[in-house]
Formats: sequence, structure tokens, C-alpha cells
Amino acid sequence: MKSRRQFLECLAAAATTTLALPEPRARGSEQGPRIVHPAPRADAMIVLWMAGGMAAPDTFDPKRYKPFEPGLAVADVISTFPAIPTAIDGVQICNGLPEIAKVLDRATLVRSHVQPDLGSILHSRHQYHWHTGYVPPQTVACPHIGAWMARVLGPRNPVMPAFVNIGQRLEGVGENEEIKAFTTAGFFGSEFGPMNLPYPEQAALAVRPPEGMSAERFADRYAAMKRLTAASAHREFTSDFHQESMLRSIDNAHRLLGAKEREAFDITREPKEVQERYDTGRFGRGCLLARRLVENGARYVEVTTEYVPFVHWDTHENGHERVAALHAEIDRPIAALVRDLDERGLLDRTLVVIASEFSRDMITEGQPGSDAKDQASSPKDFLQLPAHYGQHRHFTAGSSVVLFGGGMKRGFVYGKTADERPCVAIENPVSITDLHATFFTAMGISPKTVFDIEDRPFYATLDGKGRAVESLFA
Amino acid sequence: MKPQANRGSRCEQAQRREAWGAARNGAAPNVSRPTADAVRLVRDHAEAAIARTIRPGASAWLLVIIAALSTPARGVDFAHEVVPILRKHCGECHTGDARQGGFSLNTREDLLTGGDSGTPGVVPGSSTTSELMARITSDDPDDRMPSEGEPLPPDAIAVLKAWIDEQAPWEPGFAFKGTAWEPPLALREVVLPPAADGRTNPVDRVVDAALAAHGVPRPPRCDDRTFIRRASLDLVGLLPGPDRVEAFVADTDPGKHARLVRDLLADDVAYADHWLTFWNDLLRNDYTGTGYITGGRRQITTWLHRALAANVPFDRFVRELVSPADESRGFIDGIVWRGTVNASQAVPIQFAQNVGQTFLGINLKCASCHDSFVDRWTLRQTYDLAAIAAEQPLELARCDKATGVMATPAWIFPNLGQIDASLPSAARLAQLAALMTQPGNGWLSRTLANRFWHRLMGRGIVHPVESLRTQPWSEDLLDLLAGDLVSHGWDMRHLLETICTSEAYAAVTPAVEGLPRGGDYVFRGPLPRRMTAEQFTDAVWTLAGTAPAKPDAEVVRFDQDSTPSDLHPAATWIWSNEAAESPPEESLTFSKDFELPQPAVHAAVVLAADNSATLFINGKSVVTGNDWQQPVMAVATADLKEGANTVIVTAANAAAGGPAALRMEIRCRLADGTMQSIVTDGSWKWTKAKPDAKGQFPKDTKPTDWAPATVVANQATWATADAPFAAHVIAATAPASLPMVRAGLVKATPLMAALGRPNRDQVVTSRPSDLTTLEAILLANDRSLADEIAKGGSRILAKHGPDPDRVASWIFTAALSRPPTADEAAVARDLLGAAPTAESVADCLWSVVMLPEFQLVR
Repeated sequence: MKSRRQFLECLAAAATTTLALPEPRARGSEQGPRIVHPAPRADAMIVLWMAGGMAAPDTFDPKRYKPFEPGLAVADVISTFPAIPTAIDGVQICNGLPEIAKVLDRATLVRSHVQPDLGSILHSRHQYHWHTGYVPPQTVACPHIGAWMARVLGPRNPVMPAFVNIGQRLEGVGENEEIKAFTTAGFFGSEFGPMNLPYPEQAALAVRPPEGMSAERFADRYAAMKRLTAASAHREFTSDFHQESMLRSIDNAHRLLGAKEREAFDITREPKEVQERYDTGRFGRGCLLARRLVENGARYVEVTTEYVPFVHWDTHENGHERVAALHAEIDRPIAALVRDLDERGLLDRTLVVIASEFSRDMITEGQPGSDAKDQASSPKDFLQLPAHYGQHRHFTAGSSVVLFGGGMKRGFVYGKTADERPCVAIENPVSITDLHATFFTAMGISPKTVFDIEDRPFYATLDGKGRAVESLFA
Repeated sequence: MKPQANRGSRCEQAQRREAWGAARNGAAPNVSRPTADAVRLVRDHAEAAIARTIRPGASAWLLVIIAALSTPARGVDFAHEVVPILRKHCGECHTGDARQGGFSLNTREDLLTGGDSGTPGVVPGSSTTSELMARITSDDPDDRMPSEGEPLPPDAIAVLKAWIDEQAPWEPGFAFKGTAWEPPLALREVVLPPAADGRTNPVDRVVDAALAAHGVPRPPRCDDRTFIRRASLDLVGLLPGPDRVEAFVADTDPGKHARLVRDLLADDVAYADHWLTFWNDLLRNDYTGTGYITGGRRQITTWLHRALAANVPFDRFVRELVSPADESRGFIDGIVWRGTVNASQAVPIQFAQNVGQTFLGINLKCASCHDSFVDRWTLRQTYDLAAIAAEQPLELARCDKATGVMATPAWIFPNLGQIDASLPSAARLAQLAALMTQPGNGWLSRTLANRFWHRLMGRGIVHPVESLRTQPWSEDLLDLLAGDLVSHGWDMRHLLETICTSEAYAAVTPAVEGLPRGGDYVFRGPLPRRMTAEQFTDAVWTLAGTAPAKPDAEVVRFDQDSTPSDLHPAATWIWSNEAAESPPEESLTFSKDFELPQPAVHAAVVLAADNSATLFINGKSVVTGNDWQQPVMAVATADLKEGANTVIVTAANAAAGGPAALRMEIRCRLADGTMQSIVTDGSWKWTKAKPDAKGQFPKDTKPTDWAPATVVANQATWATADAPFAAHVIAATAPASLPMVRAGLVKATPLMAALGRPNRDQVVTSRPSDLTTLEAILLANDRSLADEIAKGGSRILAKHGPDPDRVASWIFTAALSRPPTADEAAVARDLLGAAPTAESVADCLWSVVMLPEFQLVR
């Protein structure tokens, strides 16, 4: 007969996360009909987050273009970049994204994503909505969609963290508390939360011994801790459950810190020419890191251009010039990521998504008719200064989302915005709720998946009502 | 728009809002008009044909593909639409234990089976042949249901019809249950079982009887070392020092356990420092954020810490939060979010939710959108409670949709008395505070008693602790503790003492092989609990000596009455001229720049102004005084920084004119124990220019006409204010050494956040119980923790080295309250080497800190 200790050790070895499962419980797991999940089309997901509001007319949904000249009538211009052809016949995107244009035949391009304007634009609030499916404030802490993936699907490789968040600093960049509020597993508990890697080039440090400690010393220290645990006078006398679950986590951590997969975090292991292909900056290096993590079994990876108020895609002035720089930052690495995954046979089972909290426009703030306060100072009639040339107002009634792989159609365009202002979605609008349902369905999670928290059912999509946009699936 | 689009679920509304821009602007040239119909069209596609079952948990990738699925096209919302109708119109006779005519609708199966007549109650997919539809639409009064009262309204009938035609889908696992357990309003008189074997603590008399009833042997008492560590971490949040441990072990007094508990509870500062975290979680109080954008939450830290240190009785504590003065009003003010928020998050609704959850154990979150279907609380009750705090008339919104019905200020238990709705909100709040804290309201005292028990024993008497509407494992124990609180003047520390002096609390922790589920729980002793992020951090700081120099919380951490009385104020009355002449309403700005050579571990300001003044320190408003005879005091530790500081005071004379002057003194206790005072005197300067709302002069508005301030000639003009000013200055003066700054008093570090310290957007009633893998990675390689452990290594080596056995012995005793065993000493000696280095000591310290024995309060 096994001793109690041996019994528990067996359980620990079986990685019984359910044993440690705190509330909330999955509903229907013990009684009644089970939640039925769709067959997964994708095993992994990478969200490329264009933080701050990526203007569709200056990226994936080009409209009438006019270059800047003093006295330019705003009414005459919608895009500040000319259009270029793509690998899809008859489909154009903006000049500045030539590499993405070449791989667009591997994508589904949704041009009719819409969001509510929440009465006043605040990026962190809209990003909370986009990342959790729920508009803040909420009475419970909502899980990030990456946490849903981690919670319901778990890691693909038990050594790898299921949810990795690359590129967003959570301190010292503005609206930090608000960003943290959704960069979390919420009520699922932090086991399912993100591993945050703000600097992709330093990601290897996150799975290495602390700076200044040799691998040997690190291993010796852990070995001593294990020996102390074994020698502990108290081991037999305190709760097995609490003790073993704690030791299991410490073991899991050291397993990753000692595993081969840890090398996935080190982008310098890539050949130099590959690194150069991606390296347009922190975002580009993040794309390379994302590829390596997915190759090694990560479930959900997000790479952001980083949200910093008034920086990056949050163009309140000088928008044209700044978007030109952003084009250069995202174009090569995104195309490289898509090509690399495709060449490795991973793209079909990896859903890669380019998205943003909303679009931008030169005139309308929020959506037409909204009373959201105008937050830009650029003139709406005639432009005199180059700094006024750009998409400086937040627009929520029509934005673009690009989906590569993961069971989506290739070379397909869905939805449409009006050709004249206001460029609202005029065909097949896709809400955040339904976009999420599409992601979840692709990953094999029912949009109706529900957990109990504080006696209340809480669904993967708002009230369990998200419907996947089926026509996007191949 | 189609009528059904007006149906009120949150989802559809949000959907409409999301598609709204598109719908409104579909008139763009040459385009079809997009509406929510387009979205619905998409939805009408069936979901994937092949599906698989879910198994919760991270191991779900092993899942098996088994079943096929079809989903209804329109999707009546069972939970939000059907359940309220069935509960309201049919519940009384056909749910729970009630089965009139043999018919129950507790489960879908019951519903389909039907009653005594043998006819199925519902035929899925066929409303026309369903008995339920026939009965609710019948014209025959003998047939019609409900048999008494009004027939169902047409819209309710339409919902049920549509639902049945859509196959009557049912929420997985949902069942109408009998009325949930609910405690009686008043506390029950508990008849104590006889004491067994001299175990006379009333807790033990009840627990011993419960153990006997379950045939569970009484767990033995834990050893002294375990007890002192447990009690110390539980009551003041700190590891006991090695000397205190040894003295406790050596003490032969049989009453030493109770004495220890009382001694710990008597440490006002340590107690307040520790329990501040518990209350911050419950009251959503923090030192930073939140609220889209910061500024949406008002801190109550100074009030809260002082109330805990002074052991303010719980009834008064609640009254001061619910019917607050300025210092404690952050709780009812809630969080003001930017932009449009759901009606269920309006500030008055936050008030209702938080008062319900934090103090009454009543979950009104479901009932903030619609009548709760897991609970008996109604939308009306939530809004009526909210209306007590609302400044404006409050209209009920169901699922974020206005109903046209106005709330009437009222609270949940009218048997105890009701709010006078005609009074203004401040008076209504005072009434509510009085009603809530009547001894006859057992929900308040039970909720706190249950939270304390949960904290100290690892599991609530009512569990989970969110709501009191779950059967306690001992109703007697719950009411005994609640009654103990009330009958001892609502003394929170007394209640903690009652619990912690019981044998139940002193028992060894039981061996458990999993978390107990639901009703299976039998008390067998306190469960080991994981240290909170703050306890863990404090423990590391204690061992490594790495606590920060000063807190972020503006709190007083010493006994203000025992400050040495020879520290007289040095501040003088100053103004722009010696005669203190000032025209009516003259407004001047005074300023002084100064350096602090080190961080201030405590700083407090005393200000008196004739006629009024506001102090700003480094661009932050600190305090306003407007009665020269009553000086004001404020803690300003976090506002001052090492190096250069600027204070600005805006001062104004009264409308009537007359002499005007300002007197202010800041007492800074610096990190090395020295005192630095900043006092009003001739070194100050003044101008007529006015700073901005933060007390700053933006770049292009910096005054150029600063003139030296003057010490007013006749200081005796304000002589009657001297004594109160001196008393305040003495109270503002911290002793030369203050206790270690605690983790709960500083802003959350990334490590603390990772270890479960919440950001307090929501009320939090319990912390995560498991160490996760990501957390364990941080414990292994987090930079800040590694630095602290490294510093600890050097410090311990210097103090307790070089003998490796002495080093190991100190680490074990300080961390685990026990010396190492021979086996452990051998491992430690291997690790430390014959001549320990700072590194090897740090590694030994880390290894001990990682042990479950360390990270658990057990």
C-alpha cells in the first residue's frame, strides 16, 4: 500500500491542476448537460496589437488619397497614403505596407469591425473591452481572452506558459492601473494570467537565473531547497494538499527554467539574417519571439506596438509622419512571421490577428452623431501645417482586422466601409462580441463557455451570445 | 428597428450600440443600409457541427470529440428571460420543496415529466401541445395557472412560447432550488453545550460538540513554536522574532497562549498595519489608481489606519463609512469611471453593491441588472438601497435599460425600521448607518465574524464568504461569534481574541488531500493558509532587513499621546507685513524651498491660519485650515521626498478684514532618526500671484515679485491658539525610531501584484490560495526579490556569521520559529560551506523562504 505522501506525489506528477482549482467552477462540469465545444481549427493564437487606434484608412482600408499641401481641404482627403496592390486581385492596402501586401493572399481581411464609443474615448477602457469582451467597469475582474485560452485549453506544451504578453510595459508609461486591469486572468486567478515580457530582447532573462547568478549556483540552490523539503520535519505533519500544490508550482517553474524550451525565449539564438528580417524595433523583435514561443508550444501570445498615451498609434498630431514610421515598424516583421509560420507548416493551425481598439478619422470623434468629446486640435476644414495632416480623431464605426491562418479563408475580404465619410461599416458589421466568438470557435472553445463567479454565470462572450462569423472559416 | 431588438439583454443592447454607427449612417451613397439584421444574419449560421466536451482545467487538451450540437436560431435567454418569469409566476407552488399537483419545475427533467395528471409539462419544440402553455393561456379559471392572482402578462407568455418552440434550452446545471438557507434577521440565542475536559472557551464548547457529532476526534494542540508563528502572522502579520519565540517556549505559565494573543492584539500599530490590508481589500482603498483616469477614487487611508489603531468599535466604524465625514467618505463615493458606464455601475449602485457585499454578506450584483435568479434579492431592493445615497432621484434600469420606475430610498430589512425617503441623502445615510448597526441586525455581525473565522481558520463557517446565503457548518458557532462581537461593544479585537484563545484555533492543522467540496466539510482544525503577498513581503523584509524607508500610506504609526513633551513648536505667525494688516479678502501665496538630506520616515504638518489657508507640498494639496483657533494636522510622509522640496501656502483674509497671519510647522523624522522642522518664519517669501489648482506655477506663470515674508510683530494677537498649536505639533512629532515600514503601507510592487495583491477595482473578500507556476518563476528569478535576498545574505553573515551552524540556526528560527533538525542542519552546512559567504548565506535564506513550511501560515 502506498503511503499518504506517495499517493500525493503521484497526484502531483499527474499535474492535477483541477485538484488545485479554486472557485470559480466551470458550470455544467459536474451535473447536467456539458458545455459542448466546437472542433478546434487552430491550436495557437497570436494577436498583433496595434495599440492606440490603428487608422483603417491609412492601413488596410485605403480611400481617396491626397498628399498634403497648405490649404488642403480635409473634405477632399480620407487616406493620407496612396493605395498599393496586394496579392489578392483587386484588393488594395496602403502604401507603406508592401511586405504585408505580398502575403495578404494568406489572410482574411475584415473591414467592418465596429465598437461602441463608450460615450468618451479612453484607450485603456476600449482596450479592456476588446481584450475581455466586457465594458469596464464590471463587478468582477474580467479575464483577458488569453486567460480564457489558458483556462479552458491550457498550455500546448506543459512546460510553456499558456499566455504570454509581449511588449507592454506595465509601469511608468501612463494609464498603468487601467492597462493592468485587463492584463490579467481576473477571477480565474493568476495561474491563467499572462507572463509579461515587456522587452522581447530581454525575455530570456525572465526564464534565467537572476542576474549575476551562475546556472550552477542556481541549480545548487534549488537542489538544496529540494533536500531541505525532503528533510523537513514538518513535511509529514502539515497539509499534504497545500504543501504539494505549492511544491508542484515551484517544480514547474524550475522545470521551465531548466528546460530546453527556455531557449525559445532567447531570440539571439536565431541566425543573424533572420533577426535582421524581423528587427525593426521592439515590436519586430516581439514578433520573432512570438514565433519561437508558438513553435515551442505557447497557446496564446500577444505582441503589442505598446500603448503609451499619445505615442505610437495614438496619433493626436503629426499623424501622417508617425504612421509612416509605424508602417515601417510593423510591415517586415508581420510578413516575416506569416511566411515563417507558413513555411514551417504552422500557419494553418495558428491564428494570427492584427487588430486595434478602434480606427481613426480626420473629422469624426467616436462615431457619427456621438457626443464624445473631440480630443484633437487639428482643423476639420483646411490644413495649413504638415503636423495637422493625419488621422487625429478616434473612430469606432469601422475598423480593419486581418486574420492569417488558423482555419480562416485565404485571400478573402469580409465587410466593407462606406467610400465617403463617414466611413462606417456598411456591410456585415462585426462586433467585438462576435469577433471574440470567432476566435474562440477557431480555437475550439464554445462562445457560451461559462464559469460561476460569486454565484453569477460569467461567459466567454457577453452573456454567452457571441456568434462566430462562420463565413470567415475556410 | 424590429421589436425584438428592443428586448433588454445586455448583450443585444451592446450589440446594438456596437452596430449603431453603422446603422445610423447607412445612408452613405450607393450602399445598402446595414443594421443589426446583418449581425443577426451572421448569427443564423449554425455553429460547428462537430463539437467536443469540455473538461475544465489546464489538462483540457486531452479532450475527446464526442457530440454534435445544434443551437437555436433566435436564442431566448433562459437565464435572463425565462427564469424570472417561471420564478415569479410559478415558483411559489412548483419550485423547491413545493410540488402542487405533483408538478415541479426544479429541473428540465421535472418540467418535461409534468405532474400527477401524467401529461408532460412541456413538449420541447411544440408550444401548441405543451400543457404549460395551455394552462397559462386558459380562459377557464379552474384550469388557468397561476391558480391565484393575475394571469401572466402577454409578453411573458410570448417569451415562454418562443422558448418552448426553441426546444426549451436549459442552463447547464441550473435548478430551481428550495429557498436557499438564510439566517434569521436577529442573532439566535446560542445554548452552549457543556464544556468537556476543562475546554471552557465558548468556541470550544460549540466546536467540541460538533466534532463529537461527526465522530471526529479532537485535534491535538499544536506545539508552542507553531502557535507563536501562527498567532503572530495572523494577528499582526509578522514573523515572531527569535528571542520572542524562545521566551515563549521557555515560559511555563499555562495561560501563556492567551497572554500572547492579548499582547499581540495590544500592539496598536502592528495590528493596524496588518489589518489595513484586510480592510483595503474590502473597502477598495489603495494608494494609487484607479478609475479611468486616476482620481476616480478617494483614499480613506488615514482614517482607516487610525480607526484600527484606536480599535474603533465595529458599529461606529461602519457608521463612519456609511454615513461619513470627509475623511472616510471614499467608500460611499465609490469609483467614478470616465465615459458612459452601464447603469449597474453608477455610483449609487456601487454603493448598494458594496454595502451589501462588504458589510451584510448580501450579493446584489446580479440584482443590479435584474431580479437575481440565484438569490432572492430584487432589482427594486438594489435600487432602493442605492437611492438612499443618491443625490438625485434614481430611475430603475433593467439590464441597462430605463424602466420609467423610480426608486424609493429604502433598505432591505424594514422590520428593523425604514428610511424616511423625504429626508436629504446625508440624513438618509445616517438613518441607514443606524439601522444597519442595530444589534437586531444579525447580518452585519455574522458577516464580520465569518470573515474573521475564514481568515484565521482557512475556511468560512459560511463558505464561500461572498454571501451569507449558504448554510453554515455550525449555525451556533456563527451566532456565538457574532453575539460575542455585539455583546462586547462591537470590539473587533475582542472577537479575534475569543477565536484565537480557543483550543480550536490552537489545534494542529489537519492533513487534507484536497479542497473540501460543498457540504462535505467537517471542521478538523485550522487549515494552512498561504501567506498574503503582504505577509510574504513583510517576512522577507524582516529576515533580510530590506524594508523601504518610508510608507506611501499617510498614516500615524506611533502613539501620539506619548511623544516627549519638550518638543515645542518653533513656527511663528507670518504675513506680508509686520503689522499683519490686510484688507478684506486679501489673498497671498507663501512659499519655501528646502532640502531633506534623507527620506522622511514620518512627516506631519500643523497649520493655523487667520483666516484660511491651503497647504500644497510638491504640487499636491495636503490640508486646508479655516479657523485660526483650531489648527489642523495632516500626515505628509509620502508627499515629501529626499532632496529638494517646495511648499506653497495660499492664505486669505476674511471678508470682514482685520489682521491676517499664517503659522505652520512640518515635523520630519528622517531615516537616521534626526528631526528636521520646516516652520513659518522670516525665511519664507510671498507673492500676490496665485498658483494653479495643484499649488504650482506652470512654466510661463512663475512669479517674479517674490518678497520676503515678515514675522508678525505682535504674536500675542493669537495667543489663545498657542496651546492647541503646541499640542498638535507634539502629536505630529514621531519618536526617533519607528517600526519597520510594512508591505501593506506601500504601493503594490510588481512582485506583490503577482503574488495576489489585487488592484482593488472591485471588492475583494479572499486572496488566491495557491502559488502558481508564474509566481514560482518570479520567486526564483525576480530581480527585486533576488536583490533583497542578496542583501539579506550580507546582513545575516555580518550579524550571525561566520559559524555556519549559527547562521543556519538563526535563519531557521527567524523564518520558521524553530531550529533546524540535524538533517536540515547538515543540508544547510553543505550549502553554506565551512566559511559561509554572502552568496551562500543568501542561497540558504532563499531555500528556507521557498519552503512550504515558510510560505504557509500553519
